[in-house]
This record gives sequence, C-alpha cells and structure tokens, in this order.
Amino acid sequence: MALDIQAIRSDFPILSRILPNGKQLVYFDNAATSQKPKCVIDAMTKYYEQYNSNAHRANHTLADEATTALENAREKISQFFGTTPENLIYTSGATEAINLVSYGWARYNLKEGDVIVLTEMEHHADIVPWQELSKEKGIEVRYVPINNETFTLDMDAFEIAIEDASLVCVTHTSNVLGIRNPIEQIIEMSKEVGAHVLLDCAQGAPHEKIDFNNLGADFIAISAHKMAGPTGIGCLLAASERITEMGPFMTGGSMIKTVTTDGSTYQNGHTMFETGTPRIAEAIGWGAAVEWLSQFEMKDIHNHVHQIASWTGREMNKIPGIKIYGDPDNKNSSGAVSFLHETIQSQDLAFLLDEGGFAVRTGHHCAQPLMDALGVPSTNRASFWIYNTQEEVESFISHLKFICERFA
Amino acid sequence: MEDASWPSHLDSIVEEFRDCFDSMERYELLFEYAKKHPSPLSLDEWNEENQVLGCQSRAHVKCSLDENGLFLLRAGADAQIVQGLMAITAIAVNGQSAIEVSKLSPKYVEEMGLKSSLTPSRANGFLNMFKRVVSEAEILSEV
Repeated sequence: MALDIQAIRSDFPILSRILPNGKQLVYFDNAATSQKPKCVIDAMTKYYEQYNSNAHRANHTLADEATTALENAREKISQFFGTTPENLIYTSGATEAINLVSYGWARYNLKEGDVIVLTEMEHHADIVPWQELSKEKGIEVRYVPINNETFTLDMDAFEIAIEDASLVCVTHTSNVLGIRNPIEQIIEMSKEVGAHVLLDCAQGAPHEKIDFNNLGADFIAISAHKMAGPTGIGCLLAASERITEMGPFMTGGSMIKTVTTDGSTYQNGHTMFETGTPRIAEAIGWGAAVEWLSQFEMKDIHNHVHQIASWTGREMNKIPGIKIYGDPDNKNSSGAVSFLHETIQSQDLAFLLDEGGFAVRTGHHCAQPLMDALGVPSTNRASFWIYNTQEEVESFISHLKFICERFA
Repeated sequence: MEDASWPSHLDSIVEEFRDCFDSMERYELLFEYAKKHPSPLSLDEWNEENQVLGCQSRAHVKCSLDENGLFLLRAGADAQIVQGLMAITAIAVNGQSAIEVSKLSPKYVEEMGLKSSLTPSRANGFLNMFKRVVSEAEILSEV
C-alpha cells in the first residue's frame, strides 16, 4: 500500500525546520540517525514530567509506573522483532550489543585457535571488538571480501571462510553501499558448518521486518535511533540457548542475586546483562517508536525508500564525474546511496550540498576496511527513509548538478 | 596585528569575500584561491607528524621560522575549501612574528561570510588546522 508521506511528515516537527542560511532542511542522513516523530518525544517528556523514577527498585507509585513502562516497552519491542521479552537485552545501541556478544558470550565460549568470520563490509563496531578478542585469546579472524563490480559479498569466498568457524558476524545491510546481504543463505550455510551467527541489523531494522525467531540467527544487534527511536538505546536479541552460555559483561547493581564481602552471585537471563539504572526514558521512547512504526507495513517503507533511492541513483549516473558505490537499483538495497565526484573532494561536496540545505554524510562511515576495498578514502552518502519525498530528491539532484557544473 | 583581529593586508581579501552575491559565489571564490595557491607541501611531505587528525579529509600543517626568524606556514589539504582558507591564512601569517601569529583569531573567516567553516563538528576541517597553526606559533614564539 502506498504511504501517505505528507501525513507521515507532519509527525516529524524537525522536517519543517529552516536552516540558519534560510534554506529548508532536506534530511538525507538517515543511515546515521533517523528523525523522531512527535509521539516519541512526547512519550519521553511525559515520563520525565509525570513519573520519572528509577525502575525495579522501589514500591512507590512512580517506581511502579516507571517499571511497568520499561517492561511494557520491552514487550512491544521484542514483539516487533518477532521474539519474546526474555530474548531481548537492552543495550546502548548496536555497538554495545556486539560488544556484549564479544565480552559476554565469545570470551566465555571460544578458545585459542577458534575462528570468527567477518566481512569487508562491516562497520567498525563489528570489527574492533573481534580484533580485541583475537589479541586477547588468540582467535583467528577471517574477512570475506566484496566483489568490486557488484558490491556484493563474494559468497564463494564466504563458503571457504566459514569452514571450521565458530562464529560468523555479518551486517544485514551495508551502511555505506546500501547492499542487503543474503542473510537467510548466510545463516543456513553457517549453521550447516556448526557456526553461530551474529547479525548487525543497525541498518537493516529500519528497512525491513526483522523476525528473530524465524530467522534463526543466534544474535541480532539493533540501534533504536536509526528507526525513529531515541539515541542511547538498542538491544541484543539473543537465542535462549546462547543466553544460558553467557557470562557477565558489565557488573554492578541490578544484575546480582547476592553480594557479600566474599563474592557475588548473578541473576539469570537478560537481567544479568542490564546492570545499573536502566535507560528508562529511552526504552519508553523506543517503545513509542515501534508502536508508531507498527501502523505501517515494513515492506511499504522499503518500497517507498527503494523507489526514491533507485531514482536518485539513476539520475546521479547521468551527472558527469559522479560514481556510485553500491547498487541502488537492486530491489533489495536500502536507502543508502554512496557516491563520489571525480574532482570535487567529498568534504567540499558535502559543504556545498549543505549550503543548499541538504544534510548528507561524508567520510569513511566507520567502515575503513570497506573504503580500502573500494580504493577510496571516503564517500558522500545520501540515505533516505520513510518521510523523504520524490520532490526532495528531485531538488537534491538539481542542486548536485548545479554544484558539479560550477565547481568541477 | 591586534588580538581578535587580522593583519591589515588581509582587508582586501575579506572585502572581496564580503562582496560576493551569495554563499555559492563565496565558495567559488574560495576554490579559486585554492587553485591559485596549491599546497606548498608536496605530497611526499604529508606525513603522520604534520597530519591534522580527523575523519573527513586529509590535512597537513608545517610551521617554521624563516631565515629572518619570521613565521612561515605551509599547509596542504585535499579539500579545496580547507586549502583555500589555509592559503588565505598563510597570506595572513607569513612574515609575521610567531608571537603575533599565536594571538591570531579566526574572526576573519567569519567576516568573509564563511562562518560554517568554523563549526567544531566539521571534523578535520579548517578550524582544526587553524588551532594547530596557533599552537605551533606559541611553541615557536618560545624558541
């Protein structure tokens, strides 16, 4: 079903912002973070104005309300991702979720000589924790290359890399290329060789339905802020069997059963990994965000984003000097379109686009190994989401052409 | 050179930018400055020691005293906007004493209508390079 984009836009106060230079904001940096609908902002404000209290710690009314809201949010969010509250561990975002797998699962279950498979497409958040673990425990880290023509993973190399692997860590969708990996095939192949699978769904979750129990991955890392939720919260979805194999990551209050001067015992399940005061307002905000998103079919969001991303890609290809890194025409691609101009340096181009009111990302996108594989130091990236319009991308292309004609 | 100001020989350049019709014309002029004043540091002089760290582009700064003991800035960046601003900064500081350069503020960039170039979040942009120049001038003034 076609989305009513104008009605959707009216839920986002920030989209009507006029920038200091008098230009209307056109927000194309959604792969970095999405904007937040008013209901999310209101839910968080209501918590602070009406029932701000610490959760799980007291018996007074406010504490009960805060605890109920925190756990209701867990229920809504886990349901949105096709699983149960017991399988959802709140984290600060996808980065912490991946670190939780590294510190809380891999450190307890992998040993010297074991193999972890990554890809060249990974965000630094899905590389550095494994490099650290490798240094500490003598674990071998293998990287699956990308095909520079199609910008897709080399699945033949993948098949070879996963032999004897204990853990396969793959991004669902590349934050640079917008390419969606064949995650179903990756999970199946990994399971066949007895490897566990961690999916980084930071980019995938805003664009398609993540159905944790049906997918069969062992771990899924998600950030709320890229899917209409607030910053500072995300989650690790973990299979029940894997949770029982995990040990403490961060320690302190809330995650303990008993503490004596001789030592401590720990809670079971997700509680063991949520130490300290929970991110209560953020969880409530994320709950409101998934409730807001639930009024739409995720495939409608994907189709809308794909339509404007593929149009943008086709129009960019007509501009002399512009090269696209990725395949926005591919029906599975998300809304990220990375590009470079052959003579206008990426930072300059971003400045000049910003002068027109267009917010795009520039840099290595925390994916330096991918930049190395592509043979570039950085790219510009326009990334679209549910509230972006055809008119916006038309005006973007028009401004981009103007810049290229004037500054190349 | 006075505090929070710029040397008088920069006035005509500041004026030239101020007179631009709009921001795009201003950036066009800045690109021209970058082209007219390419990096005096050759690429093989771009090294880790003189690199201004950041994430968006490469930028390098080398400061020294010339044979007369006066400040000499040589800077290179792969972004034309940063290169243009550094070329203008070199015009401002070269031939001044290190102590004068250490007191320089980037206000002239604001006056040129390029305030957005001074935003701290513009990683590895002009502001980072400018801070490096001022800090090296402080060190050189103590020599």
